[in-house]
Amino acid sequence: MLPGQPVETARGTTPEESAVTTHPTVETVGTAAARHRVRVLGDPAGPVLLLVHGFGTDQHAWDRVLPALLDGHRVVLLDQAGAGGFDPAAYDRERYSTLDGYAADLVAVCEELDLHDVVVVGHSVSSMIAARAALRAPERFAQVVMVAPSARYTDDAATGYEGGFSDEDVAELLDSLDHNYLSWTATVAPMLMGNADRPELGEEFTGAMRQLHPGTARDFARATFTTDSRELLTRVSTPTVVLQCRDDALAVDSAVREVAARLPHATLVALDASGHCPHVSAPAATAAAVLAHLPGRP
Amino acid sequence: MTTTTPATPATPGGAAEVPSDGPSDGGFEALFEHAPCGYLTTTDGGRITRVNETFLTWTGHRREDLLGSAFGRLLPVGDRILWSTHSAPQLGTTGSVSEVVVEVVAADRSRRPALVTATRVPARAGADAEVRLVVFAAPERRAHEQELIAALHRAEESEDARAAAEGEARRLALADPLTGLPNRAGLAAHLGAALAAGRSDVGVLVVDLDHFAVVNESLGTAAGDELLLTVAARLGAAVREGAVVARLSADEFAVVERCEDVEAARGLAERLLEALTAPVVLDGLEVVASASIGAAVAPPGPGAAQRVLHDAAVAVQRAKARGRGRVEVHDPTRTGAAADRLRLLGELRRGIADGQLRLHHQPQVRLRDGRLVGVEALVRWQHPTRGLLAPVQFIELAEQSGLVRELGAWVLDAAVAQAADWARDPGCATVEVAVNLSTRQLTDPGLVEAVTTALSRHRLPAHLLVLEVTETSLAADPATAAATLVALKELGVGVSVDDFGTGYASLTYLQRFPVDELKIDRSFVTGLGASDGDTAIVRACVQLAQALGVRTVAEGVETEQQREALAAMGCDVVQGYLFSRPVAADAVQQWARERTGTTAQPAT
Repeated sequence: MLPGQPVETARGTTPEESAVTTHPTVETVGTAAARHRVRVLGDPAGPVLLLVHGFGTDQHAWDRVLPALLDGHRVVLLDQAGAGGFDPAAYDRERYSTLDGYAADLVAVCEELDLHDVVVVGHSVSSMIAARAALRAPERFAQVVMVAPSARYTDDAATGYEGGFSDEDVAELLDSLDHNYLSWTATVAPMLMGNADRPELGEEFTGAMRQLHPGTARDFARATFTTDSRELLTRVSTPTVVLQCRDDALAVDSAVREVAARLPHATLVALDASGHCPHVSAPAATAAAVLAHLPGRP
Repeated sequence: MTTTTPATPATPGGAAEVPSDGPSDGGFEALFEHAPCGYLTTTDGGRITRVNETFLTWTGHRREDLLGSAFGRLLPVGDRILWSTHSAPQLGTTGSVSEVVVEVVAADRSRRPALVTATRVPARAGADAEVRLVVFAAPERRAHEQELIAALHRAEESEDARAAAEGEARRLALADPLTGLPNRAGLAAHLGAALAAGRSDVGVLVVDLDHFAVVNESLGTAAGDELLLTVAARLGAAVREGAVVARLSADEFAVVERCEDVEAARGLAERLLEALTAPVVLDGLEVVASASIGAAVAPPGPGAAQRVLHDAAVAVQRAKARGRGRVEVHDPTRTGAAADRLRLLGELRRGIADGQLRLHHQPQVRLRDGRLVGVEALVRWQHPTRGLLAPVQFIELAEQSGLVRELGAWVLDAAVAQAADWARDPGCATVEVAVNLSTRQLTDPGLVEAVTTALSRHRLPAHLLVLEVTETSLAADPATAAATLVALKELGVGVSVDDFGTGYASLTYLQRFPVDELKIDRSFVTGLGASDGDTAIVRACVQLAQALGVRTVAEGVETEQQREALAAMGCDVVQGYLFSRPVAADAVQQWARERTGTTAQPAT
């Protein structure tokens, strides 16, 4: 935990209180909300949007889309295992060696906060984690939104599938994470300080990044880049919206199309955004696409 | 420098616009193609639309292969992910990224460490948005990076904790009022006695509570105190009779116990960790205290008490850095870089206070007539045991630790004092003194006042002071840097850009700042005549300076061949071992008297 960083939890936010007040509390150790530094914002009575960040970032990656989502929705944010303010003591290498471990965390948070009809929005690899969560507890989830998803990052010559990365790429990535993670985090943190009017954000990030254990990033990278979720997607019964960007170097066109093709109930939406992080670079378009396709909308 | 005209580009639109606006002028086109750095432009989506010759030569790629391909594809996969998840989004939101450390994959698949700076130019009438990238080779940066990040962060944290704790100990007596345990001073007394009695099996464990500040802030100091008392009691119960438990600082305890070797110390540390992690009920909430423990066994020989405490403190910092809630043991067979740096940091702090710093001065000679026009003031550290240290041996450490503020203040004042001395000597009354400014100094809001104060205290005419800033520090916060430099110019002080050519965005950034002088980096000067590439770069720099109307100084001139090449290019001033190494102040005066000179003569 970082001193001074507000910890907002479901327990600290009651319906009577203002929608976005923050309540610094120390959670009894052991709750999922505390482990994942869960924040619950927005309208306590509104439908639930669970935002799940991708590899190499934490829940603050969603900061720019929040203003457009808070009105009328109960927005739940968390840090996944190994990221941001996740409790390092709760990190279990075996549990987090597969995407299922991360998916089980999402379900645990939903159960602990007793969330229903959840729209889970997953960025990047977390769209596959969200799909797994929807398979584990379909009764909890009303919809999955996949932002820049890929079901398999490596090419597969056998099926002619193009994931955008070679096996050598992945081997090298895992190797470089072993050797360079500290420099990685130190590189990332100053970049995140681009927010000149909120310097404290940079401080917070730097602190959060420095807590990262190099091993956790490697576990997440390994789970991300060595998993093939294509088959699994065919079993997802939850309606799914797939958001695709132009010129995405990580979730390449062919990979995103494959995701939509495999899902039984998919809507493929071409976002007016380029790159891999539309929620950062084009927050208005991203939020609009999420809101436009919410379940129950015409 | 103060006699040159302000930095205005010779051509409307300026050199900085070359990369975007194309071949409006043959000379600038050549400058773009052979600039000392790689230039690329891409679409908003990262597709390469333009690339200069320097980049192609450096990477071995062919232009036709790069045009239309994705910039991210030039990066190894890890860097590609970083670029896609962080740099590219930041470009979209803030319009720029600075000094991103990446590797570029060359045509032969080898890796080239590089610094990438990029700016996004929004769509204009008739033109789509584009991204301009400046790529600089940065092998040394890459090499230092890891070590710096890992070691310095730990050292700084540890040093801060130690300094704070020591201050506390001086104020109090030997015991901690809350727990009744010995404090740091009490522990030192006990350790000293045990070691003086000839015991060779003394282990020290430093126990640092994780997240204690959070407990204090969230539940109140009463609950925090309760937690500390619980920890003190548990530690006391877990050690053998005769062991000493002490409280070193707010959330840091120490245990001194008999340990035959490091394995025994490790075993003890693990027992203590287990004892501490049983839940505590505070204010009705069950809290699990977690701790990081560093252990060390006292080495033989003098100074053991201090060393074993220090080793345990370094180990506990390592435990914290590696994820907390764990044990780390000091391995006496490895003298850690972190420990060395930590020691050096303390020594430097004392060295500055005790007057161990010295200034040396390297003469700068005007090529046209061989006159001494100035000197660069260079700091040296007269270390009590290691002798005279060059800046390379301590500057980086100072910059990383914050000591650079005091160091910089000392150098500025000493250099101004020296310059004022010379200004009163008719033999060298016009000698300018150049002082290097760190990035921290440049962004320090008190800099202009500090310079004003130094000038007036020593009554030095402002034009005899030149402040050298690096390209990198200009780019760190361009708006603040520009405002500061303008204010310095108003005082009459000269501004020089140091290490020119090794930073990035040279062409783009330069004209934003009121610069009087460019110093061409020694790494290019060294290759003059030997490497066509370096010769082209130096020539480009000199031409750029002439276009901007500023003076050029070449650093690191060591051979007659280099001097001739520089003279032929029209370089204004040279500095290097060919003329003189950095020398003490009186040697400068003598040097000036000996050569009122007609042409720049090498040292004899």
